[in-house]
Amino acid sequence: MKPVYLVEGKRTPQAKSGTVLKDVPAPYLGHYLIKSIMDNLNLPSDQVDEVIIGNTGTPAKYPNIGRVIALEAGLDKKTSGYSVHRNCASGMEALSQGYLKIASGRADIIFAGGVESMSSMPLLFKEEMAELFMELMKAKTPQAKIKVASTFKLGHLSPVIAIEQGLTDPFCGLNMGQTAEKLAREFGITREEQDEFANESHRRANMAQAEGKFTSEILPTIAGKKLDQLITEDNGPRKDSSMEKLAKLKPFFEKRTGTVTVGNACPITDGGSVWLLCSEEAVNKYNLDPMARMIDYHFHGLEPERMGLGPVLAMNGVLKRTGHKLDDFDLVEINEAFAAQVLSCLKVMSDSKLASKWSVDVLGELDRSKLNVNGGAIALGHPVGSTGSRLVVTLAHELAKQKKKLGLASLCIGGGQGGAVVIENLKV
Amino acid sequence: MELSTVTSEIRDGIYYIGFGKFEEKSLTVISEDTLRELDHLFTEISSDKNAKGVVLFSHKKDCFLAGMDVSVIQSLSSVAEASSGCEQGQAVFNKLEDLSIPTMALVDGICLGGGLEMILACDKIICSDNKKTALGLPEVMLGVLPGFGGTYRLPRKIGLATSLDYLLTGKQIRAKKAVKLGLADAVMPKERMIELASEYLFKKTEHEKSIQDSLTEKAAENFLARGIIFRKARQTVLDKTKGFYPAPLKILDHLENSFGKRRSTYLANEARAFGELSQTSQSKALTHVFFLQDNAKKMENKDQISSVNQGAVLGGGTMGGGIAWLMANSGQSPLLKDINLQGIELGLKQSGEIFSKALKRKRLTQDDFERKQRSIQPTLTYQGFKKVDLLIEAVVENIDIKKKVFAEVEEYVSEDCLLTSNTSSLSVNEMAKALKKKDRFAGLHFFNPVNKMPLVEIIRHKDVSQETIDKLYKWALDVKKTPVVVNDCPGFLVNRILAPFLNESAYLLEEGVSVEAIDRALLNFGMPMGPCRLMDEIGLDVCAHVGEVMEEGLGARAKANHLSHRAVEKKLLGKKSSRGFYLYDENGKQQEVNPDVLEILPEDSISMDETTIQMRVVLPMINEAANILDEKVVEDAQTVDLGLIFGIGFPPFRGGLLRYADIEGLDRIKTAIEKFAQEVDSDRYQVSKYLERLVIDKKKFYEA
Repeated sequence: MKPVYLVEGKRTPQAKSGTVLKDVPAPYLGHYLIKSIMDNLNLPSDQVDEVIIGNTGTPAKYPNIGRVIALEAGLDKKTSGYSVHRNCASGMEALSQGYLKIASGRADIIFAGGVESMSSMPLLFKEEMAELFMELMKAKTPQAKIKVASTFKLGHLSPVIAIEQGLTDPFCGLNMGQTAEKLAREFGITREEQDEFANESHRRANMAQAEGKFTSEILPTIAGKKLDQLITEDNGPRKDSSMEKLAKLKPFFEKRTGTVTVGNACPITDGGSVWLLCSEEAVNKYNLDPMARMIDYHFHGLEPERMGLGPVLAMNGVLKRTGHKLDDFDLVEINEAFAAQVLSCLKVMSDSKLASKWSVDVLGELDRSKLNVNGGAIALGHPVGSTGSRLVVTLAHELAKQKKKLGLASLCIGGGQGGAVVIENLKV
Repeated sequence: MELSTVTSEIRDGIYYIGFGKFEEKSLTVISEDTLRELDHLFTEISSDKNAKGVVLFSHKKDCFLAGMDVSVIQSLSSVAEASSGCEQGQAVFNKLEDLSIPTMALVDGICLGGGLEMILACDKIICSDNKKTALGLPEVMLGVLPGFGGTYRLPRKIGLATSLDYLLTGKQIRAKKAVKLGLADAVMPKERMIELASEYLFKKTEHEKSIQDSLTEKAAENFLARGIIFRKARQTVLDKTKGFYPAPLKILDHLENSFGKRRSTYLANEARAFGELSQTSQSKALTHVFFLQDNAKKMENKDQISSVNQGAVLGGGTMGGGIAWLMANSGQSPLLKDINLQGIELGLKQSGEIFSKALKRKRLTQDDFERKQRSIQPTLTYQGFKKVDLLIEAVVENIDIKKKVFAEVEEYVSEDCLLTSNTSSLSVNEMAKALKKKDRFAGLHFFNPVNKMPLVEIIRHKDVSQETIDKLYKWALDVKKTPVVVNDCPGFLVNRILAPFLNESAYLLEEGVSVEAIDRALLNFGMPMGPCRLMDEIGLDVCAHVGEVMEEGLGARAKANHLSHRAVEKKLLGKKSSRGFYLYDENGKQQEVNPDVLEILPEDSISMDETTIQMRVVLPMINEAANILDEKVVEDAQTVDLGLIFGIGFPPFRGGLLRYADIEGLDRIKTAIEKFAQEVDSDRYQVSKYLERLVIDKKKFYEA
């Protein structure tokens, strides 16, 4: 396998759905990231082999968003482009495919990342209503049309909320919040522990914003009806987050007995992120100065109702592949889908009994000062298709700032999977 | 007959007549030869027993026929000559209309003026799906009317009320719209038009007119309703043209008088109207302006000069945003850099506003709106500037800051990047000193608002290369602006001539002439805005500053007035502060004269006749233009006139400032200036040496 370089990684600001980025169509959460990276490098626009974009809520208008982004970014028309979907890890799947293609020598220059406009996830017609439309179209005579129309009932109009369906597992029937509740119950994670974790996420994110830590990774996005606003920061972190405020929130998924609230879970979010991946030949040929190397990745499956533990299995897998120990890593990102879910992972990682139950090695105690140092999805948000690559963007930029070496990014995946990526910082 | 302008080929009994085969220029025009050859062909076809049909098409890309050669119109020297010219053309097209076999035109590209008049005589019109396909009768813009039957056939085809809209404005109709209006029969893919022609030619088609269309048509047949249509149209024309332009009014008169008349009578009326209009001073002036602009568009070796792929704008703000819009609209995905985000947002706002309006008017699709506005790349750093081909600086108007910015910028751009400044008042020579590589630098002065004002001044300095000027000239044409090349001097071309216009108006105010009287006089002269209103628009603080700059640069003849300073002291800054010579409401709409302004005006007002006011203001402009020619700031009188028409809206019906002077007579102009020198001020009305020389040599500005 050939080495694979992460040359440049950028992301949009992440905004809670329905807020500042709500009118930005999904392709425009990605195209300018590529355009800007291209502008800053001496890379001919017809030399990019492929654009791979993770996206889960495929907009009806852009069935293959990867190709749309390649064209909108101004890359040569011969650059191929496609879209991938691995739920919450779609962006990581895109990176992994890019990695494989370069490592195997099939490609030299690839843009990979993810975009998600959760604001624009549609409301769907019920099946009954859709059928009625079909029948209406088939009906030729006015009489036939009236006959079909007379079968209409008002109830047909109540919409199906796509995002709600998407976040419910079709296999086990639980929605994502309920899987987090399940873990909280099984691992005895209290409401206070979850709120504390969430509060810390906001604290770290606020501090990172105040120190301008995200400015190197975020490219401002043009937004607004007249496209005259410039969004430069994530709007998720709450400046006024406190334990008291978090404690006041009612459990969202299990109203009476639950512990998971909107405060200790990540918000639905709009955002995008992109990496330029290159082979060694391309790096030398175009005199590039890569940020990092992508060492390897791993995906792993488990029972859908405990999808939150996915990171443990994925990290275990990637450590085995790379021969590293958890201690080797200077920084770790585990996506904060739910506080309960991350805390459960930490338990399984360090407990030998639990580890053997899930057939993983005891990975060890993870030093919290290495984990999600600038806050995580609870504060920053979780644009589903993007997060997998967004974590790697944030990780690489932070490694570069700290001049540290090894980084690990992992996340749980709806449907019962985990993904993990290992990178090595080259900006030392 | 040997054909030299059209081709003719018979296949299966169908005559295929093609245009543009022998034309080397990008546009095919109708010449007298074309008409003669067509006349011959139509006669031949009418006597050919085997002829089954006629198809007109074009060999040329993107152009069917661009109309009658304008130089032919310009050469017409009498009403009779012009009218008989029309009659000849009408006769040719009548022959086409009178053919008993089916006739059809396949329009790919533009089809204007005489071209459209010709195909209106066909049974069918097919438009191609080419984006450039457009039909129109622009004659009114040259101060005449369509004289080859256009005024007869267009209303019959699309209805009286609708046709007025096009006859009176000269605006173009796109393919789909043409079908909707009933002007064309179908839109077809351009590659297959010829192939489908033989079949479609014989197909029966029927226009499905909407209820509204047929009602409007019915109404036009009614005498009373027709009266209302004409009255309304006349009112609109007067509102728009203020009566300065006779052509639209003549079109209305002719249409009203000729309505319902037989073809021969109708066409005879049309020919006479054309003849009369062709000899008006307005038409002569508009034709002159047409050629001014046409010449400005000509550029040798244009294709060999590299285009701008990537632009950059420094400084958000109103001008920066406008320029970013211009670049984004032309696919040059500009980087927009400012020192803070507010500045960038101001620029985005400006550009977003212009694009949104286009979106609202359906000139832009939602996708293109997203694409174009998002192609502007906001940045606080110089990242990505290595790939920039053209950088336009629009930061604050301060020479030290500008020099600092350019010194800084040079570190981040490539060797070949063109560097330009959108300064309106600073010395370009001075600015060039900040740069190491000076030959790629020039001034590039836009007028506000950038999207509406067609002129761009390209300003030379002593170290600029011709290559740089050529590249900028081509760029300006590419973004559909009208460029003029000017040597560095205070105010460049346009503002230098505008300065006495404003300065003298302020002196008139100081003498006691009222705001209303001055503005009315100049509006009646044909200026788009009175000088007091214009000063409000520019900002009185800016006017005061420019006054100083001009006096410093040009000396006693540009002695600045005191009024604008007094206005600034009273916080009367003009439109931006809602109070200047006039008051403005929250939307910036002009209200009545500001009563506070009286405090800075003399107590005793005087009345002055309109012509004197006009001459007090216009003569110093002519005089300054002469000085400009003397100093070789611009090449010739044409450039001065082009600059003033497209930069400040000097009335097109006068053909330009210096053409106006030429027609008035330079000896008379000189005498009038000398008279003001004695009566008003000997410095401000000091006759230009250049003007004196012209008078002695008995020459005109245009003959120098």
